[in-house]
Amino acid sequence: MKRTSTDVLPGEGALGDEPLLAVDNLHVEFHTRAGTVRAVNGVSYTVAPGETLAVLGESGSGKSVTAQAIMGILDMPPAVIPKGEIRFKGTDLLKLSEEARTQVRGQRIAMIFQDALSALNPVFTVGWQISEMFRVHRGMSKADAMKKAVELMDRVRIPAARQRVHDYPHQFSGGMRQRIMIAMSIALDPEVLIADEPTTALDVTVQAQIMELLAELQRESQMGLILITHDLGVVADVADKIAVMYAGRIVENAPVYDIYKAPAHPYTKGLLDSIPRVDQKGQDLYAIKGLPPNLLDLPTGCSFHPRCPYRQDNCVTDVPPLYEISGTRGSACHYWREVLDGERQ
Amino acid sequence: MGRYVIRRLIQAIPVLLGATLLIFCIVFALPGDPIAALFGDKRPDPAIAEILREQYHLNDPLLLQYWYYISGVLFRGDFGVNFADVPVSQIMAGKFQVTLNLALTALVMEAVIGVGLGLWAALRRGRATDTMILASTLLLISVPTLVTGFVLQLILGVKLKQWTGLDIFPVAGTFAGWRSYIVPGFVLAGVSVAYLTRLTRTSLVETLRADYIRTATAKGLSRRRVIGRHGLRNALIPLVTYLGADLGNLMGGAVITETIFNLQGIGNQLFNSVYLREQPVVVGIVTVLVLIYILANLVVDLLYAVLDPRIRYE
Repeated sequence: MKRTSTDVLPGEGALGDEPLLAVDNLHVEFHTRAGTVRAVNGVSYTVAPGETLAVLGESGSGKSVTAQAIMGILDMPPAVIPKGEIRFKGTDLLKLSEEARTQVRGQRIAMIFQDALSALNPVFTVGWQISEMFRVHRGMSKADAMKKAVELMDRVRIPAARQRVHDYPHQFSGGMRQRIMIAMSIALDPEVLIADEPTTALDVTVQAQIMELLAELQRESQMGLILITHDLGVVADVADKIAVMYAGRIVENAPVYDIYKAPAHPYTKGLLDSIPRVDQKGQDLYAIKGLPPNLLDLPTGCSFHPRCPYRQDNCVTDVPPLYEISGTRGSACHYWREVLDGERQ
Repeated sequence: MGRYVIRRLIQAIPVLLGATLLIFCIVFALPGDPIAALFGDKRPDPAIAEILREQYHLNDPLLLQYWYYISGVLFRGDFGVNFADVPVSQIMAGKFQVTLNLALTALVMEAVIGVGLGLWAALRRGRATDTMILASTLLLISVPTLVTGFVLQLILGVKLKQWTGLDIFPVAGTFAGWRSYIVPGFVLAGVSVAYLTRLTRTSLVETLRADYIRTATAKGLSRRRVIGRHGLRNALIPLVTYLGADLGNLMGGAVITETIFNLQGIGNQLFNSVYLREQPVVVGIVTVLVLIYILANLVVDLLYAVLDPRIRYE
């Protein structure tokens, strides 16, 4: 479909070396009564057209907050973005007016949320909600927009779309609801799609179907896909590269194959070791010691040091930079070589 | 849906019977002799009093008296007569019109002012406007209707006319048509306005925190559309319930307001009839009020299904 919205981004087209979407040294803080929560502390990543970046991390690692900052749907206040850039085709979204930002949102960069039941409005039919994209952004008539909604529901393979378009979200199963969420997000052919734990609330079999659907839609449209998850199993099949987040920082980024073969950060290693495996049946599962850090009061030096089996004295004082391991790989660990070689100190 | 309505109406029958019986007993238990009250200061001739007692079934057991009454209401639509032989239905007819006018005026004011202020407060949450609105609702809740009624009557009914020479709001009575209902309507709505303001504020604030609001924003919709369509549509659901149930409260709560502004409505009549021990009139009015309550609640429940598709009536 041809894009009909007015382009609000200056310098578009002259992409050069600029990736489709680049998050650069992003910081997000929440000013609360209890103090300042540093949710994101200098995150950088890029996505190219047709590329899938998996952002991996546990709850509170800042992966969702980063995504919401990209979408511009953080509640500000309490959220504040003191530093950083989010460049979409070279334009810093953070410097755009709210109006220009609204033009990007949903049309150029779209997002899928975790729990489709609560993320869809309970009092409107799914058809109404999908077709709203066409009515509001493309000025289509109700009837035309509804036809588009049916097409989209067909495209995400919802059976009997023509009848079900008039149903309400609660009348669908979890997997079907997530398909509706996907249909709504891809309605206007966005260039970047952010999927925030799209399969977490679903059964395992349905998870696979949804991931397959996302991968297929991405192949067709060459969207850049940011897949936020805490599930390493989901990532392996579909991601091109992985960014592992911990305490608001990226601790390791690498092509997906490299990470699975040999992680270069103790946290990534811990995550991989904690996946249940058939050949270790009957043994205790590996667990990373300790608790996730308190974002109100981050540990000094490397945030992971209280839980790290590779810890040395300087880890407590020196914040590790993202060491470049190769052109496509980085690790924020002073001792990434030891981790990579698999030596435990 | 049709079956649900029928079932609800059938369920209303025991409620109606229970409520009227209760009222019947309470009026019956009132101290004093209605026949003696009829004669005022004079002592009635015992023979005449006895004839009257027999005529009004006052010597029969309470339950039998109740049966005479309720069978008349249910099967003949006959609410009986008062001691002056005026049919109760005739007494009620004109008065209910006045009270209904008053209650509807109050309801509209409540809806417009309450929802309006509530939305305003919700959208300015935590700022000066919000605090001021909340404080004034607290004031409105704290001051009794008796005070707001007389104060507004004095300022808007009496002083305004003296100062400006314009007769905008009449002091009392219904002779000025719909303008007669504005000040009493506001006084009657007062406390409800305060509650509704707070309810609206809470409801919208709560709704705007929902995930689907975030989704609506992520769809690239304007803030106006996010709040106005996606937020409001959901926030309205509890408000409609409150408003519907409040219509009954307003009709029943009109006693004080009607007395202050000398509106010849049902509240006024109820007060006088209790005073005169006009049992049939009291029970008649209460029966109709109970009916209105039941119907208002039924309408609310049906509206609920229209507003919230998750609710189905089987």
